Amino acid sequence: MNKVSINSFKFQVLCFVLLLATCNLQLATSAFAADAADIMKKSQLTFLYPGKDMKVRVYMKLISKDGKERVREMTMLRKNYQEGGDQRYFIYFYQPADVRDMTFMVYKYAAKDDDRWIFMPALNMVRRIAANDKRSSFVGSDFTYEDVSGRDIEDDNHSIAKEEKLGDKDAYVIKSAPKDEKGADFSYKLSWIDKGNFLPLKEEYYDKRGELYKTFTADEVKNVQGFPVITKRTMKDKKTEHKTEVTYQKTEFNIGLDDDVFTERYLKKPLKKWIE
Amino acid sequence: MKKFSLTSFSVDHPWLIVAIIAIITLGFAIQIPKITIDTDPKNMLPATSDVRVYNDSVEKDFALHKDTIVLGIINKNGIFNQTTLEKIARITDEAQKLKGVVTRDITSFTTVDDVISTSDSITVKPLMSEVPKSQQEIDGFKKSIYENPIIVDRLVSRDGTATAIYIPLEPGANGKEVADRVRDIASKEKGNEEYYVAGDPVARDTFGAEMFKQMGFFSPISGMVMFITLYLLFGNLGLISSVMAVAMISIIWSMGLLIGLGYPVHIMSSMIPVFLMAIATDSIHIFNEFYFRFRELRSHAERGNERAESGNARRQAVLDTMKVVGQPVKYTALATAAGFGVLAIMHIIPVKVFGIFIAFGTIVIRLMSFSLIPAVMMLVSEKKILTAASGEDEAENRTANILKNLGAVGTHKSALVVVAGILVLAIAVVGISTINVNNNMVNWFKKGSDVRESDRIMNEKLGGTALGYVVAVSGEDDFIKKPETMKYIETLQRDLEKLPNVGKTFSVVDYVKRISKVFNNNDPAFDKVPDTKEAIAQYLFMFSMSAKQSDLDNVVDYPFRKANIWVQLKTWDAKAIQDVIDKVKTYTSSNPLPGAEFKPAGTAYFNLVWNNEVLYDMLKGFILALIIVFVILVFNFRSFKWAVVAYMPLLFTITVIYGAVGFIGKDFDMPISVLSCLSLGMAVDFAIHFISRFRRRLEDSVVADSSASLNTPINGQLLTDSLLWTAARPGKGIMRNAILFATAFSAMVFAPLTPYVTVGLFIASMMFLSALMSIIYLPALIILFKGWLFKKQ
Repeated sequence: MNKVSINSFKFQVLCFVLLLATCNLQLATSAFAADAADIMKKSQLTFLYPGKDMKVRVYMKLISKDGKERVREMTMLRKNYQEGGDQRYFIYFYQPADVRDMTFMVYKYAAKDDDRWIFMPALNMVRRIAANDKRSSFVGSDFTYEDVSGRDIEDDNHSIAKEEKLGDKDAYVIKSAPKDEKGADFSYKLSWIDKGNFLPLKEEYYDKRGELYKTFTADEVKNVQGFPVITKRTMKDKKTEHKTEVTYQKTEFNIGLDDDVFTERYLKKPLKKWIE
Repeated sequence: MKKFSLTSFSVDHPWLIVAIIAIITLGFAIQIPKITIDTDPKNMLPATSDVRVYNDSVEKDFALHKDTIVLGIINKNGIFNQTTLEKIARITDEAQKLKGVVTRDITSFTTVDDVISTSDSITVKPLMSEVPKSQQEIDGFKKSIYENPIIVDRLVSRDGTATAIYIPLEPGANGKEVADRVRDIASKEKGNEEYYVAGDPVARDTFGAEMFKQMGFFSPISGMVMFITLYLLFGNLGLISSVMAVAMISIIWSMGLLIGLGYPVHIMSSMIPVFLMAIATDSIHIFNEFYFRFRELRSHAERGNERAESGNARRQAVLDTMKVVGQPVKYTALATAAGFGVLAIMHIIPVKVFGIFIAFGTIVIRLMSFSLIPAVMMLVSEKKILTAASGEDEAENRTANILKNLGAVGTHKSALVVVAGILVLAIAVVGISTINVNNNMVNWFKKGSDVRESDRIMNEKLGGTALGYVVAVSGEDDFIKKPETMKYIETLQRDLEKLPNVGKTFSVVDYVKRISKVFNNNDPAFDKVPDTKEAIAQYLFMFSMSAKQSDLDNVVDYPFRKANIWVQLKTWDAKAIQDVIDKVKTYTSSNPLPGAEFKPAGTAYFNLVWNNEVLYDMLKGFILALIIVFVILVFNFRSFKWAVVAYMPLLFTITVIYGAVGFIGKDFDMPISVLSCLSLGMAVDFAIHFISRFRRRLEDSVVADSSASLNTPINGQLLTDSLLWTAARPGKGIMRNAILFATAFSAMVFAPLTPYVTVGLFIASMMFLSALMSIIYLPALIILFKGWLFKKQ
């Protein structure tokens, strides 16, 4: 009888201690989570929002498993309207040759679906394109629209998986898992964020079976007008062994893009100075 | 001075022989655990074969998957309701998580890209990104689906009761295992939907898995039935064990050698055990004669007291038996070995392996006939043999009389028998002319089986489960984007769709037309190929800006030099893709497209080539074997004429059986082609036994009857007597052999896979036919042609 009560007292103590420990653990995790989300937010700003606006000549090489290539060459203009939020993109295509003069415009909103327009020179016609799927391929490359213009930080749960050196750089390794399972192709992704400049050095995407399926790498980082810019990047698909290499040339920031650059009129007839 | 005789050595040292054979057998047996299995019929053609290399390159050019499983979902009340659509979404989600599937390329309502036009914009998005809920939404969804010709017949049936989920497999994944897991997913769903799993990998891998199960199940059953039948026929466990032992030994030696040499066991070589079991029954002729001899010698010994020692009587009986049966046993084994051995010079490797190792097994069997069997005959208890052999006496008169009567039909009504035979032969030839060389794996499953039903129903509802490609190849970049190329491909597609077995075709042109229409506010006038290359290029570029990479990759190659037309066929029959190839040929030759050619590819095409290479290889081997067996007969009888006569039952049996195959519409497929070689070796056996023994008997009779001579016009009575004796005595061995076969293999008729049913029926009917032919037709031929046969001798 006596023995039992002592035991049950011990048990209660144990429970209490355990409870405390769990609470602590939870506190620790959520603190970490906040840190992780902050890191990701900061990284996105450095990666996708530097300057007021930007102009860049983009060479994109789509390379198949057996080394066959398709090239896309374009000028991309970008203007920020809200830090970490609304942006506008304008893209003029040089290559492939038969799509030269095609233009593409995106109004990116933080809170709702993007607006996209396309101009078809062969038909001399502008059409709006609905953007229901940010996960679809960007111009046939291994990058999705989301990879190009960024994924909402709030859509994922972030945590610091570990901190390690990648090459000679110290990096946070952030694990991001979508809050809504259906809202992403990946079940989680790992991002190596440079502790120095907060640019992503590498990203690994894991599918619903937990298998790695694509990898992003920042292959060359340059300083342009004081902004760290990833001038060479690769997205490699592990399953198809297809990859896309992107090179940025003639990157310029704060060139003073007018709002009317991002209109239908300019879509049909872009000003030379902006696209060359 | 005396030549070494294996038989007398075995008779003198029976235990030594048994021990030696046991040790060698053990040596082969320890190889067997190293077994590797390859159930993919594709591998019958080496990876370096033209068709495989070509198909691989096409798959690479268009980022295609080798194998795809199709899950059909059918709701008789229509699939356009919230519950069914939700199930489709749920099952797709679940299937994407399966191991061994290419997650991102699973095609279903929720994953396939669709280009649609709404009031102010164009959308490229999954067909069903969200399950429609209200009736209005569902109606809208249904309408939009039927407006898209790319989807209809591929993802939805015209009557709206069926949809499909296409699940591509990663290289090396097992189709049956994935299919089983897909079935598991479907079985969790409740409701009145029905689920069907079809596709080439399902049939192939299910067959592969089942095949070994059934080999493991039905081979022992056949063995058991054989054992029981043998016991009923010979009544002595020791002796019949030796027949079974011979079968087992030959199986262990040849399979052990095959595995030991590092060959994987293919579908074909998995049949080696059954075949060797069949061939091993040839030793019945030895027992049959031994029982006669032993009894005769015993009664002599008892009467004359000349050979008081019983061991001597037995020894003499064994040696005498081997003396008279040895020759035919030797040559039947040779004929069988030759029938299979000839496959060694064919160029398909598994065909070679199959032929060589059965030939090897046959030689082992023959070796055993002259060593193990005589040894065992010396070892079994004499009393028991006597009891069994005297049991023979009672039964003998009945059986012998029946056989004698059968022989008498041939002897006395020879002309009638021969004419009747020729008539049957003529009819059979008509049957043969209708034989269709075709290998359709789905037909290896019985009617009503899961695999076959799924295939049938899916083909009824949708475009077809069999997939082939027609690839347009040019040497010029962007050739495919030219309007004239596009229009040409479109006309070709419409032309192909007129073929009865083509359910759907699909190409880059369908995308271009679709985008053109959508881009122009769904105006049907724009549901066509645009007139400029730029417009086509820009449409495609726009499409590629939003769609999945694979959408375009599957239909055009990187530099737009090649286009891939998907052709869905409603059957795996070789003829379906042959028709497509023929149609492409007539179309392209009557109005050629300069700078481009059109080539077939894909699984359906592979099967066609496989058909031609493997089956025709077997057919060639078969014809060659027919010739070689004839040569062996000539050697055996040292007479061309007798060889011709002995050849007749073989020719007749084969012609009649293949005639029947033709009449019942059974394809000449892999199982049948494999059997053809067996049929030839076996069907000639009885004739060899019959004629050898008959001629020996006749010679003995002539010697006994000094008034007769083989050189003078033959004594009719003597001839008839000898024929009837042969029909009764060695005829009994022949009949026993046939019955044994027929009963043992009839068990296979109950197998759930048709190739085994075929094997069972085929072997059983072949044995009966050739036994009957030997006992009835041979006497008739001999009587009818006695003038010709005995003229010179």
